Amino acid sequence: MVLVYAAVAVAAIPLGFVMAYLVDKGGKVLTLNFLTDDIPNSARTRGPGMGPAVLGTLLITGAATLMAVPLGVLAAVYVNEYGRKNRLAGVIRFLADVMAGVPSIVMGLFVYTVWVLRFGFSAFAGALALGCLMLPIVIRSSETALQLVPHDLREASTALGARTSRTILTVVIPAALPGIVSGALLAVARAAGETAPLLFTIGVVSTANLNLFEGSNTALSTQIFGNAKQPFPGGISRAWGAALTLVLLVFVLTAVARAVARRFTVR
Amino acid sequence: MTTLTTEPPPPLAPPPALGRRSASGDRAFRALTLACGAAVLAILGLIAISTTTEAWPAFKEAGLSFVTSTRWAPNVDVFGSLAFVYGTIVTALIGLTLAVPVSVGIALFLSDVASRRLRRPVGALVDLLAAVPSVVYGFWGVAVLAPALLPVYDFLDEVSSPVPVLSTLFEGPSTGRGLFTAGIILALMVTPIITSITREVFDTVPAAQKEAAYALGATRWEMIRAAIFPHSRAGMVGAVMLGLGRAMGETIAAALVIGSSPQITAHLFSSGDSMAAVIANQFGEAGGLHRAALIGLGVELFALTIIVNIVARAIVVRAGRMR
Amino acid sequence: MRRQFPRFASPVAVALAFALVATGCGTDETDEATSDGASGQQNTVTTVKEDPISATLDASGATFPKAFYDEAISQYKTVQPGVTVNYAGGGSGQGRNQLRDNLVAFAGSDGLVKEEDKPSYKGGELLYVPTVAAPITVSYNLPDVRDLQLDADTIAKIFQRQTTRWDDPAIAALNSGVRLPSTDITIAHRSDGSGTTENFSKYLVAAAPGTWTLGSGSTVEWPSGTQAGNGNQGVAQIVKSTPGAVGYVDLSDAKATQLQFARVKNKAGRFVAPTLEAASAALAGAQVNADLSYDPLNADGADSYPVTAPTWILVYKNQPDRSKGLALKSFLRFLLTEGQNLARTVDYAALPQTLQERSLAQIESIVVPAP
Repeated sequence: MVLVYAAVAVAAIPLGFVMAYLVDKGGKVLTLNFLTDDIPNSARTRGPGMGPAVLGTLLITGAATLMAVPLGVLAAVYVNEYGRKNRLAGVIRFLADVMAGVPSIVMGLFVYTVWVLRFGFSAFAGALALGCLMLPIVIRSSETALQLVPHDLREASTALGARTSRTILTVVIPAALPGIVSGALLAVARAAGETAPLLFTIGVVSTANLNLFEGSNTALSTQIFGNAKQPFPGGISRAWGAALTLVLLVFVLTAVARAVARRFTVR
Repeated sequence: MTTLTTEPPPPLAPPPALGRRSASGDRAFRALTLACGAAVLAILGLIAISTTTEAWPAFKEAGLSFVTSTRWAPNVDVFGSLAFVYGTIVTALIGLTLAVPVSVGIALFLSDVASRRLRRPVGALVDLLAAVPSVVYGFWGVAVLAPALLPVYDFLDEVSSPVPVLSTLFEGPSTGRGLFTAGIILALMVTPIITSITREVFDTVPAAQKEAAYALGATRWEMIRAAIFPHSRAGMVGAVMLGLGRAMGETIAAALVIGSSPQITAHLFSSGDSMAAVIANQFGEAGGLHRAALIGLGVELFALTIIVNIVARAIVVRAGRMR
Repeated sequence: MRRQFPRFASPVAVALAFALVATGCGTDETDEATSDGASGQQNTVTTVKEDPISATLDASGATFPKAFYDEAISQYKTVQPGVTVNYAGGGSGQGRNQLRDNLVAFAGSDGLVKEEDKPSYKGGELLYVPTVAAPITVSYNLPDVRDLQLDADTIAKIFQRQTTRWDDPAIAALNSGVRLPSTDITIAHRSDGSGTTENFSKYLVAAAPGTWTLGSGSTVEWPSGTQAGNGNQGVAQIVKSTPGAVGYVDLSDAKATQLQFARVKNKAGRFVAPTLEAASAALAGAQVNADLSYDPLNADGADSYPVTAPTWILVYKNQPDRSKGLALKSFLRFLLTEGQNLARTVDYAALPQTLQERSLAQIESIVVPAP
């Protein structure tokens, strides 16, 4: 039994170290200025901030969510509600599983060749890549949530004379909503932390770019990646601050997702 | 039949007018969801087709040597990916070797050993591990872990030099960045996946079997070995394979700590390179055949992860059938 | 006999003012030249008043001059506040690649574009604009070795992993009186397509032809058991954190990372440290071609640092967008005027005066669409 406790400790210790360094080094630089000031031109400069990266992460992840979540939920609805005996639905489910296994960098390469080469770097290109990443996650979690809705509810609704679409919209989806929302939030959390799909789709800037479709942009994850590869203390401390910001963002999303799933699930 | 209410039952069918309107709305909604499903299909198909067609020139140029050769020299159009495949597999295996015992231990803890009060925080711990983005792990690895491990590697190098197999595995010199450090970071990243799936599998073990083991006088550990493990073998394999797939596809964390110098070597502390990492490092500057070759690496990696998933599924199904 | 490199002073400013007025640029410009003492310190400004421009220029490429471009971009903000320049770095290979695909407005490159690649550049004809030059240092991490001397053959052997320990006789022979430790040598090189690698390997091909067998290019097939980093900064990071490491890093990053660097034996047989003066000495004798490419590697001259590397900005001669084209010309002009003054402050050598003038003329030949 000692082994089991030891296993927990072995996992807890590195996590503890990661958290400790994040909070210590990141906390030192995390001020309001850090979150709003422009990124210094040179990594050698000490001082804040990461404003454009925070904005970029929110913009890109937000756009990706707006594209992937409705598409994924509706596709899951089709597969689960309309497509039970349908071959097409089975293919979609299988391919969504396959898509979940695609390495994230391949998503970035795909968007680079079909979009960036034609339209240049932009936050939207990054959002496309992240959306492709989120889609299978949203589909799977929505499907699971929909499957968990008891059949009785659907049958009762049909017995009352509602069409299938009405049943879905007024009975099934509301019942599955906690699972759907929670799954979507987890997908958003995952997308916010991703770096590889953004590497070749958004470029780099040091001042905020609010334009989704035009012009390069930047994100917390790519900034951390870039700063991790250079030796100057100014850049490194900004990377810690960005890492802490990113981790906090992801934690909040994950915590809300779990809370929604726990509190609102119909048991 | 006993008396029911005296009121007449309410009409069950909606009035015809409502029915007509909702019929076309129903069809529209169904069409919408079908369109979304088809769109997903189209997107995936597009990814598969575009990456393969982009990569094709490189495959044609290199032929089978793309997979079998170790020489990767883009400036003379020679593309052999074996060194990267080696790096991907070795770091993933190191990660799994470290992660599986820990994950199984935590899963056991959460499903059988822990008191109710401890379950929540440890579960939260696993969630936290999963939530940390890979770039943060990679950055921590470069900034903290690699420098800290450098003296450890030197020490192990010295200590193991008389021992035959270990001396090759641990031979230096090292910078702290290399295959083993990348393996450690990967272990951190796949532990949550393996843990959560394994825990679900453990939770499905019928209580009756566990109680039967206890009734026969087994200690907790014996109960685990007798009741939980046999039941969960397939599920555990599935979990491990999923973790393997994730570890192989991990790009960023590996790119930061692996050393970025491809070689097939038994020296685990020395540097290497993985498929995903080399794509991340070289894609920016790649044009023409080089770019095709890097996309080809992505396709190769994807194919490997598919194979791993198929094998996992097969094992799970076979084990299910055997019982 | 010490060749005196002309310092930035009033003669240059006046000459530039004449040159600009004489060539008669198309925009509304008035020139004011202020003279400075001959101390060569930062000029208070050869202001060329331009109309304000509003544009965003995306750029990427060589990390070798990145510290200079970063500083210049910050200063340029005061001249044209409406122009945003984003220089992403990523290596000369990435810059050329992204310029080819029209993803950036200009590319920093320490190497030339191969002739057979030129047709694939989507924007048409390319121009090279030389900006600065600097020494490539051979930086090492041996805290107890203050002064290290190396020559081309030894460097070649080290980087080919034929010499694997610091106390090897080959190194000791060049460093009599220095106690070299028996630490293993860890090589740090580039993992991305790099102009610095190209110049470093070109130097070894020229100076150690019998010993260096790996050829030259923006990527080199390095031996196994080495470490690679992204960008000059990445190599600096590896050398800084690994005892016994050695790598090739531009002077600016090496100094900013507080690395120690070796003195390298030049063609004349003297061991020269990588300083800006030594770099300027190497530049002074370099032959400049018609397209403004030049090669200061392995230069003659007793004071020349042999691994002095050039760098250019690559642009398309025909600019499709008017405001971006004007911004581009304005920024490039800044680099070749005030920029030359601030180069020294970030450890880059300004170009010789004649090359500055030729570069400015090259910039003027960029074609911008009429309003």
